[in-house]
Amino acid sequence: MKNIAIIGSGAGGLITSSKLAKDLSKEIKNGEVTITLFDKKREQEFQPGYLEVAFRGTDPSKIRRPVKKLVSSGVKMIYDNVEKVDLADRYVKTEGSSEKINYDYIIISTGSSPDYDQIDGLKQANMDFHTDAYNASLIYNRISSIKSGKIVVGIGGLPYKCPPSPNESAFMLDEYFRKKGIRDDVEIVYITPFTRIYSAESINEVIEPMYERRDIESITAFNTDTVDDEKKEITSLEGETLKYDYLFLTPPHKPAGFLKGSDMSDEDGWVKVDKKDLHITTYDNGFAIGDTTNIPISKAGVEAHLEGVVVANNIAAEITGTEQKIKFTGRTQCSMETGFHKATFVVGTYDRPVEKIEPSTMNYMEKKVMEKIYWGSLHGHYEWLFKYHFKKDYFEK
Amino acid sequence: MTTLNVDSRGTACPGPITDLIRAYKKAQNGDLIVLVANDPGAVPDSKAWCERTKNEFVGSKDVESAFEITIRVTGKKA
Repeated sequence: MKNIAIIGSGAGGLITSSKLAKDLSKEIKNGEVTITLFDKKREQEFQPGYLEVAFRGTDPSKIRRPVKKLVSSGVKMIYDNVEKVDLADRYVKTEGSSEKINYDYIIISTGSSPDYDQIDGLKQANMDFHTDAYNASLIYNRISSIKSGKIVVGIGGLPYKCPPSPNESAFMLDEYFRKKGIRDDVEIVYITPFTRIYSAESINEVIEPMYERRDIESITAFNTDTVDDEKKEITSLEGETLKYDYLFLTPPHKPAGFLKGSDMSDEDGWVKVDKKDLHITTYDNGFAIGDTTNIPISKAGVEAHLEGVVVANNIAAEITGTEQKIKFTGRTQCSMETGFHKATFVVGTYDRPVEKIEPSTMNYMEKKVMEKIYWGSLHGHYEWLFKYHFKKDYFEK
Repeated sequence: MTTLNVDSRGTACPGPITDLIRAYKKAQNGDLIVLVANDPGAVPDSKAWCERTKNEFVGSKDVESAFEITIRVTGKKA
């Protein structure tokens, strides 16, 4: 009997569990393999949809689904968070329980979440579209009442998830206030600690002229240190100050709490893994995928997805001894909406720098297709499509 | 004075600058940050970042198929 434990029922955990359930269906049926997914959450949200909720007023319930409908047949769901993983003795414990749950393989996919403790005053001053759909909806309520003033958006700290999303917020706010006919009365300022508006030069070449055309001010190399909500003022590490009336910054992110201080993690709690086969350093039967890892690429759903495919394939290959092992290529595919039904994509791999892709309506439609197929993709229904789309970047042999 | 060693080998833009900024956040004025990266963009990006943030770009040298970039933290507010 082989027991596979997966921690976290976000996109990475669900896709990995569904592929394992499919590839090992015979073994599961014969009682030779179990797959157990751990997460306290009863509902999951389509996180890229937070932008639509925040800046277009989409109802949060439209991007939410019960977890029980997302878990594939053959996967056992335990609605508890894991608070301890013992890689040496191969067991986990859930919150408040002393029971040791043994495993043979473990996949940690616990994601990342906003870390407001890193920046004094940010929590009181800021509204973000990264925490959850409800919080994103509060932004739409706020912008609906704005008649004039200065909105500051951008990157509050590193790392953060969904790299293009702060830029998208600037473009979508521009669209919103232009459509409302009050754009001249609303100042939009984008701040970033990087030296470019978008960190990758090829994409920066595409969007920098758009910022100028759309009258979005940008302040680069701005390292947010503190925020004073009474004075409505941000102070940088270098002592520069910036006034605002409304603040929608992307906060820095943190990993799940139980990972900090663990020997599998770096000093900030991100799990140290091999960037190609995702095994946790020094533990061949332990893996981490998605935002959870310390791999220096985008913290985004596509990474969790493609990493999950690799890990699931390799575990199934080891158990059945039938399939070839594969590697993650580092492929990114982050859409960046530029407003008015156009989008670009941030596309690259470990071996290929980010491409220069001009915004187009076709790209926007591709982004919309992904929204339509997202929930089904968690069950693995569209792997044929992803395989066709990513071609040699889907995985490396 | 502390020296913060940051190994960004195997990462491409914005990996090295992300690592640099994260180390900078933890550093004090006077500290050195030694960034090792094999992305060729890391050197000009680090130079540009130092100019913009008023930190000192001490220098860069080739070390075993990588670049070792040294930065003195001078730009933080007192």
